[in-house]
Amino acid sequence: MSKSSSTTISRNRAWSGRVLGQARHNGHALGLLVLAVMVAVMFSALSPSIYATPLNVQSIAFAVPEIGLMALAISIAMTTAGIDLSTVAVANLAALTAAFVSLQGQEAGMSTLVVSVVAVAAALAVGMLCGVLNAAVIAVIGVAPILATLATQMLLAGLAVLLTEGRPIYGLTPELTAVGTGTFAAVPTVFWIFLLVIATAAFIMRRTGYGLRATMIGANAVASDYSGINRSGVIFRTYMLTGTISAVAGLVMVMRTVSAAPGYGSSYLLLAVTIAVLAGVNPFGGRVAVWGVALAAVVLQMISSGLNILGYSAYIYQIVQGLILVGVMILRVEGIRAVALVHRARSGGAADPVPPVIDRPYEEGHDAQSSSGAAYSSHTHQG
Amino acid sequence: MTADVHAERAATSRRPGLAALRGRNNEGVLAGVILLLLLVMLVVEPSALTWGFAGDIIRSGLVTLALALGLLLIIISGGMDVSFTAIAVFSGYATVRLMTDLGIDGRVWPFLLAAAIGCALGSLNAVLVARYRMETLIASLGTQVIIRGFLLAFVGSTYLATLPPQLDSVGTTTIFRLGSSPVNIVVVPVALACVALALILRRTMFGRGVYAVGGDKESARRVGFHVARVQTGIYLLAGLFAGFAGMVHVVLSRHASPFDLVGMELNVIAAVVIGGALDRGGRGSVHGTVLGVLLVSLVQNSLVRLGISSYWHVLVIGLVILVGVAIQARSNARGAKRPRILEEVTP
Repeated sequence: MSKSSSTTISRNRAWSGRVLGQARHNGHALGLLVLAVMVAVMFSALSPSIYATPLNVQSIAFAVPEIGLMALAISIAMTTAGIDLSTVAVANLAALTAAFVSLQGQEAGMSTLVVSVVAVAAALAVGMLCGVLNAAVIAVIGVAPILATLATQMLLAGLAVLLTEGRPIYGLTPELTAVGTGTFAAVPTVFWIFLLVIATAAFIMRRTGYGLRATMIGANAVASDYSGINRSGVIFRTYMLTGTISAVAGLVMVMRTVSAAPGYGSSYLLLAVTIAVLAGVNPFGGRVAVWGVALAAVVLQMISSGLNILGYSAYIYQIVQGLILVGVMILRVEGIRAVALVHRARSGGAADPVPPVIDRPYEEGHDAQSSSGAAYSSHTHQG
Repeated sequence: MTADVHAERAATSRRPGLAALRGRNNEGVLAGVILLLLLVMLVVEPSALTWGFAGDIIRSGLVTLALALGLLLIIISGGMDVSFTAIAVFSGYATVRLMTDLGIDGRVWPFLLAAAIGCALGSLNAVLVARYRMETLIASLGTQVIIRGFLLAFVGSTYLATLPPQLDSVGTTTIFRLGSSPVNIVVVPVALACVALALILRRTMFGRGVYAVGGDKESARRVGFHVARVQTGIYLLAGLFAGFAGMVHVVLSRHASPFDLVGMELNVIAAVVIGGALDRGGRGSVHGTVLGVLLVSLVQNSLVRLGISSYWHVLVIGLVILVGVAIQARSNARGAKRPRILEEVTP
C-alpha cells in the first residue's frame, strides 16, 4: 500500500470518526427533540380538544419527575458500566420513611415544618444508606452490579413489607403535601425539583473530577485501574448518588400521592431502564446523558398520556415502550451502517469497504451500539 | 501477586481431593449448604422433615427448574434474560386458549405446540442479540414487555379456570407418592429436558460454542465459531425451553392465567446464579442449576414449614440470594485472571 493512499484512508477514517462522534454526541439529543415534537404533533392532531391543552401538559409535568428521576439514577449507574435495579425499591423505602416520620412527628405534636425537614432528611439518608449497601456488595464483595442490585432490590422490598406488614401509610405534613400538589409559575413544583436534580447531576457528571472518573471506569475499567483511579471509591460515590436520587424520586412519589405502600410502582423499573436507554446512555458504560434522560422521560410520558387519551389500554403502551426500546437500538446500528455506506460512496468505493453486519470483530464489552466508529475502522488486522 | 499465585497453586495441588469435591462451579459447596440447611431443620423442627416435605419441594421447584434450563444456556453464553417468563406465559396461555376456542384436546402435543410458540418468540431475542448485538438484558427487557403486552392486548386477558379435560388429566396423573405429597408425571419430561440440555452442553459442538461465546466472543470468533449462529441457536433453544416450562406451569396449576409467572424472573435468575453460572459467562452446569433451584425451593418451603410469618419471606429469600451470589462472586474472584505484567508471569 502506498503512503499517499494510506494517508487518504486514515484521513477518511478520521473524517468518518468525527462525523460519527458528532452524530453520537449532539445527534442523539437532537433526535430526541425531533421525536418529542413528532409525538406532540401526532397526538395533538389526533385529539386536539384534550391533548393540546394546558391541563394535559400540566398533568404530564406532574407525572414525569418520579419516573424521570428513577431513570436518571439508572443512567448514572450505567455510565460506570453498572446498573441499579434497586432504584424502585429504594424509592419505596424512602417514601415509606418520609410518611412514617411525618406521621410520628405530627402525632408527637412537633411543628410541621420541623417534621417536614426531618422527614425529607431521613428519606434521603435512607436512600444514601441503600446506596452504601449496593456499593459494598459491588465493590467490596465483588458481585456484578446487575446481580448485586437485583438481590438488594429483593432485600429492600422485603424489608419494606416486613416493617409495614404490607399496609400502606397515609398522611404527610401539610408542607410536603403542598410541594407535591402545588405549582410554581404554572409549572408543578415537583417538576422544578426534577429540573434542579437533573441540573445538579449534569454538573456532577460533566464538570467534576468524580464525574470524569466515573465515566472513565465505565469506558474502560482496566485502563482506569492503571491510571491510578480508586475504583471502589468511585463506585461507592456512584451508588450513593443513585440511591439519593432514588430517594428523591420516592419523596416526589409520596408527596404526590400523600401515601406510601410497599410494592408501589413496581412496573416502573422497566420503564426507567427504557428511558435511560432511549436517552442515549450506553449500558456498557462510558457515556453520560443526563439531559437526554429528562427529554426521554418527557417523550415517554407524552406517549403514555396520548395513548391514554385515545383510549388505548395500558398493554398497548407496554408494547410501544418495548418497540421504542428495541427500535432505538436497531436504528443506531442501521443508521451507522448507512453513514458508512454513504461515506464509502463518496470516497469512490473500494478504499474503505463496509464490513458486514454479522461477522464484525467483537470488542471486549463494547459492542455495536457503543463504539461502532471504532469497530468499523478497526479491521486492519483482518486483511 | 506472584507469591499469591504460587501459594494458591500450591494450595490447590496439595488438596486435590477437596478441590474435586468442591466441583468446577462450586456445586460441592452448594450441596454442603443444602445439607447444612436440612441439618438445621432437623435440629429446630424435626417433625417437618417428612417425605411429604420432599414432595412439596419437588412440586414447587419443578416450574422454576423448567424455566431455569433455557436461562442457564443464555447465562453461560454471557447474556442475561428477563423475557423468559413472558415467553412461558404467552406459550402456555395461547396454547390453552387455542385449544378451548377450537375445542380440541390432547396430552402430549400441547407441550410441543407451546415449545414451538416459545421457539418462535425466542427468535425475537435471537435477531436482536445476534444481528444487532444489543445488550442482552436490554433486548430481553424490550421483548418481555412486547410479548406480554401482545398477549394481554390481543390474545386475551381473561383467566381460564378450567383446562380441556385431557390436558387437565395430565395435571392429576401422579407417578408415585412421597408421603402425603403426590409427584406429578410432569417430572419425567422435565428430567428428560435436563438430561437433554446437559448432553447438548457437554457432548456437542454447539455446547462447546455456548461456553466459548460466554468466555470471550472475539476469541470464539477467531477460533472459528460463527458467534451469531451460536447465539441464534441459544435464543431459539431458550425460547423452546421457556415455552415448555409455560405448559408445565399451566398443567401443574390446572388453570391458565395471563398474569402468572411474570415477576418471577428474579427468583429463577437467582437460582441459576447460585447454581454456579457466572454472569460474565463461560461457566455453569445443569446439575449446578438443579442444586440452585433445590436450595431456593428448600428455603421457601422451610419458611412455610417452620411457620415463619409471610412478611419475612421476601426478606429471607433476598438474603439467601445475596449470600449465594456473594459466595459465587468471592470464589470466582479468587480464581479470576487479572492482566499481569510479563515479568511476573515468567519466573
